Amino acid sequence: MSVTAVDEASSGARRESDWAVETHNLTKRFGDNVALDGVDLKVPRGCAFGYLGPNGAGKTTLIRVLLGLTHADAGSMSLLGYEVPRHRDVALARVGAIVDEPRFHAHLTGRENLQILAAAREPAARGRIGPALERVGMSTRADDRVAKYSMGMRQRLGVAACLLGDPQLLILDEPMNGLDPAGMHDMREMIRSFVAEGRTVVLSSHLLDEVERTCDAVAIVDRGHVIRQGPITELLSGANMEVQIECSTPDAARQLLAAANLAEHVEVGADGLTISLAAGSDRSVVAEVNRVLVDGGVSVYRLQLNQASLESWFLEVTTRLGAPQ
Amino acid sequence: MTTSIDLAPAAKSHRGSPLPTGAMIMTRFMELRKRRGLMIALLAVNIGIPTIFLSVRVIAHAVAPHSYGPAGGYDIFESLVAGVMYIFGFIVAATLGCTAGSVDLTEGVFRHLVVTGRSRLALYFARIPAGLMIIVPIVAVGVIVVCSVCVAAAPTKLSFDGISNLPVGLSRQGFIAWAEDHPKMTICDMGYTYSGPPSSYVNCAPNGEIVVVKTRSGSLTTTQATKAELRAQAIKSAVQNYASYTTTFLSPPLKLMIETGLWVELWAVIGFLIGLGLSSLMGQRTVPVVLLIVYEIVLTPLLSRVGIPHLINFQRALVGLAMAHIEPAGLPAVFGGMRGGGGGAQLLTESTTVAVVVIVAWIVVWTGLGAWRMATRDA
Repeated sequence: MSVTAVDEASSGARRESDWAVETHNLTKRFGDNVALDGVDLKVPRGCAFGYLGPNGAGKTTLIRVLLGLTHADAGSMSLLGYEVPRHRDVALARVGAIVDEPRFHAHLTGRENLQILAAAREPAARGRIGPALERVGMSTRADDRVAKYSMGMRQRLGVAACLLGDPQLLILDEPMNGLDPAGMHDMREMIRSFVAEGRTVVLSSHLLDEVERTCDAVAIVDRGHVIRQGPITELLSGANMEVQIECSTPDAARQLLAAANLAEHVEVGADGLTISLAAGSDRSVVAEVNRVLVDGGVSVYRLQLNQASLESWFLEVTTRLGAPQ
Repeated sequence: MTTSIDLAPAAKSHRGSPLPTGAMIMTRFMELRKRRGLMIALLAVNIGIPTIFLSVRVIAHAVAPHSYGPAGGYDIFESLVAGVMYIFGFIVAATLGCTAGSVDLTEGVFRHLVVTGRSRLALYFARIPAGLMIIVPIVAVGVIVVCSVCVAAAPTKLSFDGISNLPVGLSRQGFIAWAEDHPKMTICDMGYTYSGPPSSYVNCAPNGEIVVVKTRSGSLTTTQATKAELRAQAIKSAVQNYASYTTTFLSPPLKLMIETGLWVELWAVIGFLIGLGLSSLMGQRTVPVVLLIVYEIVLTPLLSRVGIPHLINFQRALVGLAMAHIEPAGLPAVFGGMRGGGGGAQLLTESTTVAVVVIVAWIVVWTGLGAWRMATRDA
């Protein structure tokens, strides 16, 4: 890229930071409703970061506050090391974002819409229109009116709009909405390619499976609070593991496991039982379960360890921690 | 697309400046220009209606010149400019302003623009030159069409108070001399208004003869007017009617056409800016358009002519009244139908200075309100 002239004033406004996004005690109220309640969030640079939460949790509100679309009532935040809203013009120069669904002037073509957005950026942005359209696979339809676009095509055009600023940080609000399976796959690949180039992608979504496949780290937000954040692998390692056991005498097996104090929770079914192991348990506990059952005279036909998925962990933490006290 | 990114901080780009760039203005111009329905309405009202009206008159006059008068001329110019282009030009300009001020919000594009980091004021101010680049040329073309036809197809003879052989452009002395030479025509057609009840007056009898009517002891006596009496009365009529004669032309004078063009342009610009500010303030298009139509068609004519006690100063603050007071001399008063510059006798009085201040205030206040709202609203 060709950005060479660095504004000294802008550089002075920037502090070195490992975080692409950093918020501290961010609060936003709509009347009596607290949409963001002291949010502390840190998004590492150069990763795909999932921002998860149930409907109404405050995901889009946080994005709108970060981007200066609405103001925060309290707290501080920075984007790419620039304090915002004080230096939002400099910070947003290297940020691309889709908020809510991507919407455009329907009577204009995709290319003309990008020209309007490029004109609001630096002069070099106009030269990025063609490559951006090509990258999202919209080159052949770029001169059609947006009114004729499908939802998926608008999503792609939205991503192309994000690329006009050659962004270091992309903030995508529900980018998978309206995409068919092939489109979701393409979007996932595109996001990973952005990360491979050194960009940071913040992805707000409720499609947990997609986030798990796409992101390196996540934050869970519920009722305006960030209740967990960190790398997905670390977070899931703290989740309960589940073991399904098919055996000859489930009731006897339950008594044996209760006596051995190996499981946190045991549920007996028709064909066997399901046990929950404590968070952080390793695979040796599964072998110990097998040994206790066999030594107790129970025939074990099948024993399967189910690693917690992001979805099950999400449901676990949002129902446990997000529930009203 | 690039496969690696520049991790340097952003270059200096003046994004925080409230001044829009040329590219922002041009793309905004493109966005407005490509609204087909709006452009058709603008063209139809400002150019189409006058063109069709004049074309029909040209054809009718060519086919039956004795039944249909000339297509152009001063009277047609007055009617088209003050009756159509002034009023409807404001409405379509206001509609364009309301569109420019609200579509980014209603079509969900405003937030994409804000996310670029560009100053919201710059985003707002880019709409002003973009909109003016559309409305000013369209109004200008409309005025040029009207002026061209009114000059090219003007009548060859002046018709002044029914007199069809009166020369054009006479000086005061020339006008009086013509009256002396045509005393009967002058006395019968031009008329004369006495300042009080006269004891005797020269009148045009039903048979066309000029008589002197004298009132004595409640009875009237009529005698044939002498040549000297004819001449004296013709001169008095000429002197009294000269002011009116000077504002009667075969075709509109160049100075009047230029002044009228600028006046109509100013009204269209004001309409655009009020529409822009009001719709930016309200965040929508339909309601501001309706409000401005009501203002132009109903409130302005009403409040410009009917003085309401205790509200006179409020009425004087109406921009429509102020515009009527700076109307070029030689046009009929807008909404009033009274000939004569300065708006005519029916309008509420207002000095030119106050009128100019009111116009500037309307432009500044509405532009400021729109800018403030766009800078502070949630995107």
